[in-house]
Amino acid sequence: MLPSTTSYMFEMIRSELTDAVGANFVDIREADRFAHSVDYYWIPEMWHDRNMPNPQADVIVHPGTTEEVSKIMKIANTYKIPVVPWGGGSGSQGGALPIQGGILLDTKRLNQIEKIDTTSLTVTCGTGIIARHLEWECNKAGYSTMHLPASIACATIGGFLAHRGTGVLSTKWGKIEDMVMSLEVVLPTGEIIKTLPIPRHASGPDLTMMFLGSEGTLGVITKVTLKIHPQPESRKFRAYLFKTFDDAMDAGASLMRSRLRPCAIRLYDEEETRSHVKRVFGLEDISGAYLVFGFDGYEKIVDLEMEEAMKIMKKYDVQDLGSKGGDLWWENKYKFFYPPYMFHLPQAFGTLDTVATFSDIKNVYWAMKNTVNKNFPEARFIGHFSHWYEWGCMLYARFIFEKAPADPHEAAELYNRVWDLAIRAAIANGGVINEHHGVGLKLGRLMKELYGPAKPLILDKLKKELDPNNIMNPGKMGFGF
Amino acid sequence: MHINEFESAMKACRFCFMCRHLSAVGNVLFSESDTPRGRALLLDKASMNPEFLFSDAVVETVYRSDLAANCRFHCVSHYDENSLILAARRDIVEAGKAPEKVAAIAKKFQKDNEFKVEGKKADVLYFIDDYTLRQPEISAAFLKIAKAANVPVATITGGCIGKALRILGYVAEGKKDASTFAKKVAATGAKTLVVSNPAAYDALKNDFPAWGLKLSCKVMHSSEFIADLLKSKKLKAAAKKKKTPVYYLESDYLKNYNDNVSAPRAILEALGFEVKPFGTNNEESYSAGEGACVLLELNPELVSRLAKQVASRADNPKKDLILTASPYTRFVLEKETELKVASLEEAVAELL
Repeated sequence: MLPSTTSYMFEMIRSELTDAVGANFVDIREADRFAHSVDYYWIPEMWHDRNMPNPQADVIVHPGTTEEVSKIMKIANTYKIPVVPWGGGSGSQGGALPIQGGILLDTKRLNQIEKIDTTSLTVTCGTGIIARHLEWECNKAGYSTMHLPASIACATIGGFLAHRGTGVLSTKWGKIEDMVMSLEVVLPTGEIIKTLPIPRHASGPDLTMMFLGSEGTLGVITKVTLKIHPQPESRKFRAYLFKTFDDAMDAGASLMRSRLRPCAIRLYDEEETRSHVKRVFGLEDISGAYLVFGFDGYEKIVDLEMEEAMKIMKKYDVQDLGSKGGDLWWENKYKFFYPPYMFHLPQAFGTLDTVATFSDIKNVYWAMKNTVNKNFPEARFIGHFSHWYEWGCMLYARFIFEKAPADPHEAAELYNRVWDLAIRAAIANGGVINEHHGVGLKLGRLMKELYGPAKPLILDKLKKELDPNNIMNPGKMGFGF
Repeated sequence: MHINEFESAMKACRFCFMCRHLSAVGNVLFSESDTPRGRALLLDKASMNPEFLFSDAVVETVYRSDLAANCRFHCVSHYDENSLILAARRDIVEAGKAPEKVAAIAKKFQKDNEFKVEGKKADVLYFIDDYTLRQPEISAAFLKIAKAANVPVATITGGCIGKALRILGYVAEGKKDASTFAKKVAATGAKTLVVSNPAAYDALKNDFPAWGLKLSCKVMHSSEFIADLLKSKKLKAAAKKKKTPVYYLESDYLKNYNDNVSAPRAILEALGFEVKPFGTNNEESYSAGEGACVLLELNPELVSRLAKQVASRADNPKKDLILTASPYTRFVLEKETELKVASLEEAVAELL
């Protein structure tokens, strides 16, 4: 921990940080320390809403280069000060919260685009760039990252790398880990390393994959090279209304098993179709399970794939909402995340995302739904399936309480209990603790159950080796203090 | 507190990140507090702890906002974080806690407020505000255009018509100046009041009615006026023989506050300019703080950074011709960058 601000030692360390990054980029303003104490995780939001103070960083630094990040880490190690990397602060798992104070390392100055390589179709950039800004730059050059999550406006590329994020077109274009060519990382002890320049090789274990999803606990990712793609000639969507979620899931799975390559599939269960889809799209008299899919690429191929996909859908008792129904989803795909469509306090809500094979996903869905409904009858459970793979899909389930207990401790206890029960139900049926939001603070306590002996034997040992003073985002991902 | 009148924006924005990419100040200072979410979060805390509103932390942040309103424009629900900030400033001023610099600027605007009318009585009255006055080439160009179209114009020059004071949080004082201006305009008998400064345009179109002040004439931005002259063929300007590429920077006041974007582009296209897209998108604010009106006086270092950020978005900063409908933006970009920047009025007048 940093010494108290009333101590001259605080000033000694602040001077060292100033020397490393410049006076303009060492910030102890109350306004920023406060703004950096709340991310997108419900617990600090609720804590703030109840007028309770959230843990704050002692100092915020804004390094502008990898070398400056390295200097900060060396200073932090010397004085054993926790360092928490913060990109856009839009994580929902509490992964960037400065729970032990210390140094908050805001990466947003690492936002330069170094190169758009139009021969290999890659882009190299600092990880502090906001994803939307990167996408715009690529668009201007005629390309796209195809990484288009709802948080594109606020999250940095580094944030997606840190927790293995995903976007609406992941079904064809991949999650972030499928998009990465290589990384530059500053280790917790300050050394700078680069992973191999290409993702496919037979040159040893994959260091890139080791850092992806490490959520700032194994180092600070400072630079990335990502794949980019030409803007597609055509992108078309179509939507259907199934009588039941079960049928819709079967149809979606058939579509993936056919090895057609939809750019997106999204299936909303009956409850989410009724409560959310209807409200956001302004549709009247809609009930059932809403399924939308799309294809992109050369128009001839898109039309051919769409034709084959429609044949698959025709095997089911289904209402065809046409391309209009599909375009409605594409045009409004982010609307769900704006207030008032997004859930908000005084509601208590959370996204119980998980992923499983097609053989297991229905069991996972029902197990989670039944667990929530049985143990928390006052809560609603809704779900959609948004990222599909050749072998399965992810469940983006949510629980919503219209009101949480007024006492913040009771509210937090209730909230955590939902996670414990629902996520364990998922694990018991073939799911995992998370699919694309990460582990963070929220789910760290479940890592031991998920990994079994691999946690202490591999993950903990790796953490200890790379971060001997345990200063790198301590307390996250179940690594403890 | 006035901030509580905007509780819905406060509650909506405090935990929302969906417009973060558009925060001009946040994108140059990299600070979390200088974003719509950060500011709403701070003010939400102030609503629970009123004394916090007057802390250095909040006051500094509230007065750093560029008030571009592109967040409101972008938001699917159009939550008005902009007005929340103005309400906070008003609370700070009314509590007697305005920072010294803010108070000094407000005093200056209240002091120098003699409106002077020049020229023969005419149906069209052209208001030369402070930023237009600093750049006489703009008003000269406008008057040249009016003359070429055989439209007699009188001018009114003076200080604050209430906008700057309102922006700073001095709402009652702003209304007083606005009232003085409205009376002066009425006395001229003009039927149309034209302004080059979009901030003044917004004041006349929106602040005056909100204050219960009825103007005796129609209000037009100079771009609307010129577009009308071209459309009615009262103005004959030689269109460029060869398509001349230009980059046009949207005014925050015209676009985000008034949803008024077509007139400038119509003029440029009619005159043979090829309007190329500036930067990478048309959502960011390229006005370098126009929304905050007096940001250059309040925080010159911040405005310098905003201006340099705009310049960094240019394809060829030393070569491209950048046109703007905002005298403030023209002034700041010319002062702080190497961009070749001109007003719409100058671009049109050059062709006469």
